[in-house]
Amino acid sequence: MAVLDGVAAPARAARVRPRGASRRERWLRRLPLLPALIYVVVVTQAPFVVTVWYSFQSYFWDIPGGAHFTGLSNYSAVFTDPAFRGSLLRSVIMTASAVIGAMILGVLLAVLLDRKFFGRGMARTLIITPFLVMPAAAALIWAYPMLDANYGLVNFLLAPFGVNHVAWLSTQPLLSVIIVMIWQWTPFMTLIVLAGLQSQPPDTLEAAKVDGAGALATFRELTIPHLRPYIELGVLLGSIYLVNTFDAVRLMTNGGPGTATTNLPFFLYQKVDYAYDIGGAAAAGVVTVVLTIIVATLALRMFARVFRFEEARG
Amino acid sequence: MTSLSLRAASRATTSRAGTRRIRQWPGRVGWTVLGWVVAIAFFLPVLWMVITAFKPESAAETWPPKFAFSPTLSEFSSAFSNIGPFLTHSALATVGSTILVLLLGIPAAYALSVYPVRRWQDGLFFFISTKMLPIVAAIGPLYVIALHTHLLDSIWLLIILYTAMNLPLAIWMIRSFMLEVPNELLEAARLDGAGRIREMGSVILPIVLPGVVSTALICVIFAWNELFLAINLTTTNAATVPMFLVGGISTEGLFIAHLSAAATIASVPVIVVGWIAQRSLVRGLAMGAIK
Amino acid sequence: MANVKYVSATRVFGKDATPAVDALDLDVRDGEFMVLVGPSGSGKTTALRLLAGLEPIDSGRVEIGDRDVTDVPPKDRDIAMVFQNYALYPQKTVAENMAFALKMHGVPRDERDRRVREAARLLELDEQLLSRKPRQLSGGQRQRVAMGRAIVREPKVFLMDEPLSNLDAKLRVQTRSQIAELQRRLGVTTVYVTHDQVEAMTMGNRVAVLSQGRLQQCDTPRQLYDNPVNQFVAGFIGSPAMNLRTVPLTDGGVRVAGKVLPLPVAIRNAAAHADLKELVIGMRPEHLHLADGTGEVTGDVVLVEELGADALLHVRLPEGGNPIVARAEGRQPPTPGRQVSLHIRPEDVLAFHPETGARLAV
Repeated sequence: MAVLDGVAAPARAARVRPRGASRRERWLRRLPLLPALIYVVVVTQAPFVVTVWYSFQSYFWDIPGGAHFTGLSNYSAVFTDPAFRGSLLRSVIMTASAVIGAMILGVLLAVLLDRKFFGRGMARTLIITPFLVMPAAAALIWAYPMLDANYGLVNFLLAPFGVNHVAWLSTQPLLSVIIVMIWQWTPFMTLIVLAGLQSQPPDTLEAAKVDGAGALATFRELTIPHLRPYIELGVLLGSIYLVNTFDAVRLMTNGGPGTATTNLPFFLYQKVDYAYDIGGAAAAGVVTVVLTIIVATLALRMFARVFRFEEARG
Repeated sequence: MTSLSLRAASRATTSRAGTRRIRQWPGRVGWTVLGWVVAIAFFLPVLWMVITAFKPESAAETWPPKFAFSPTLSEFSSAFSNIGPFLTHSALATVGSTILVLLLGIPAAYALSVYPVRRWQDGLFFFISTKMLPIVAAIGPLYVIALHTHLLDSIWLLIILYTAMNLPLAIWMIRSFMLEVPNELLEAARLDGAGRIREMGSVILPIVLPGVVSTALICVIFAWNELFLAINLTTTNAATVPMFLVGGISTEGLFIAHLSAAATIASVPVIVVGWIAQRSLVRGLAMGAIK
Repeated sequence: MANVKYVSATRVFGKDATPAVDALDLDVRDGEFMVLVGPSGSGKTTALRLLAGLEPIDSGRVEIGDRDVTDVPPKDRDIAMVFQNYALYPQKTVAENMAFALKMHGVPRDERDRRVREAARLLELDEQLLSRKPRQLSGGQRQRVAMGRAIVREPKVFLMDEPLSNLDAKLRVQTRSQIAELQRRLGVTTVYVTHDQVEAMTMGNRVAVLSQGRLQQCDTPRQLYDNPVNQFVAGFIGSPAMNLRTVPLTDGGVRVAGKVLPLPVAIRNAAAHADLKELVIGMRPEHLHLADGTGEVTGDVVLVEELGADALLHVRLPEGGNPIVARAEGRQPPTPGRQVSLHIRPEDVLAFHPETGARLAV
């Protein structure tokens, strides 16, 4: 639209809105995601829906007649069952202890592995091995050759310190299980924290040197704040896996003595495998899921920065 | 502006640098000792497991524990003769589920990383949240479903479930590797006429291949080691290696050496793979998850 | 406030490698702005880091204020450093960044706040920025925070490692003069590293030119420009660069473009004394004037670069080789393709030994 001197002022251009992607384009973009999405939804949500259905049924595997509707009785049973509440509590204790223990050790080991020393690569290989060991194998090895009262290696190694043939699994069951959990997950925490340590920009560390910070001050003022997102990630991921610990409980103490080491997964397992109580297990399962969603939402909100969703490409 | 003769300079240099290097020694030695003590402490249970596996039963349950004994392969051979089918089942379930995870997960990760549509950040969130819901909660109904679909005690059931178990993590990891591909590379490919599939295949995949490999390794580790689903949903036709271990506990007689042999056989594949692919594994686990 | 001395300082990486810094002898006077300049790999950053204590000295020593600091750790040398990428502490606010060193030295809170605010004022950093984190700042602002962190220390020596190289061109020119002015005001001894010779010339009281770990020449900018001590310095300092050309000696001078370019007696004698058959001559573009046919150097214009006030003529000589660059009036420069004749006074021609590069008849 040409403008000539002295002629009328140019009309204003129509307001232009940015063109988004065409509808077809948008569909094409979603397409590769669909198979995975559908698969996960079907395989994880379908059983969950069935679980909710069964939670309102009375269904005992060993009682003929199949399932029949029973309203909220399963739920009230769950809420009044001290065993359920106990297993919830024990889950919290075990998970928290293991996560905290593994993370503290993880930070210490990461600092160790960050230093240059002779044979460091080999040492790292040895340190990550516990994570690779089959949890069932780890549970059994710790239960018998390591912690047994009569012939266990641990008692042998601690004998010079006055420890006298301790029956770990029966007198300290919770501790024993937690030790195995920590042993298996420390390498995971170590690797994550180590990645954090190695991603520290070296010139900020030099600047700290010039500014007068000694090794301890540098660690406290610079390194720990830098490690925070890594530690948070480790705690988040570790908790997700550790809360589902089953192998160690089943194979070391079978939930006992009594219910001393019964956590949520084991409680549910017992409901199905021993009580044949499908309905009850379902209700307990639903309650567990609801609790998990609440905790997870809180956790994710706290750790929102961990999910640094990058800017859209393209 | 004077300069020392070359020989004098080099002599002085070496001596000063040399003194400096020697003065670093006590620190170095200290860290080395500490590092190795810790490494051995962590490795000790595994070492003990392997040692015990070579013991004859009579030498396995003694006090004090025996460090010198005449090693025997008898426990290994007896374990080997029984473990055959279990190994096959585990291998099938592991490899099968990992392949399925990659087939489903790579396109999904691609969609989420290269062309994220606005509200699909939530899609990623959703995937992660499914990981958090304990599968244990649905075990009863899962059993019933499996029964009615005739999938109980079948490898296919394990493959299906393991895939669902590993998919969220795999997508998260592969996505973060894909995010590292520089935008310019993709734009250049597009200018060169690459369609979407070609873009993915020839540009992105070669770059993220190490990341995909380490993701696959982690899926293999989790699938191979899985016990809870296997113990509840299989009996004989699909029993996996972890189940073999469970069956190795006996209430009568001596069984420690046998147990150790079984545990060693069960764990060795993953340990060896983990050791060999260590670098890749570390990178995948630590870096991939960080972004 | 103190002087700085490098005494035969040497740093070698690896046992038998060439030294990164080779027996450096340099005196920086109290309050002086000394620039270390050179191409990449010349050892200038390493030399700075030797002074900072971030690299160990393998031979020789370093003194600050007449005190041997060779074995003294960085934090006890009373120096402050501005890093190339600023090295700001990412999780701390601007104010905390600037106050960090003071905190490490036990300076009380009010004193720290006072000094931070004063430094911010000096650098024209807005008060609001003090509570922000580095990632929320622009490149120029981050650079000023890095400077502020150094100023607040009130150290004996400022060390700066290419602090302007990450800024865009316009900001660089602006900040350059601000830094120079700031240093004049504060009067703190400053050692400044850069690869940009324009920065070196405009900012430094004296400039030390380094190449491959060795000090080539340390002098005022004017002296470096007018009296370079060897071929490297001559070619490095000055923009556009000096024309350097290997030419054969002949009676009365050297043979260029088919004619004889006369040289002063002193140079001819030095060349004869050293038994030379050819020389490297250096001619600055601004010393080559357009002459009407009477010039010593004739050739064809292949390119004209318009600078506005001047124009740079690239003139190819009949014997080939790189074109000679000459400066001409901006108004009506000759067009490409034309033949031109350039005149240069014999005393403006510099001569260098073709093998050692040393200047003849200084």
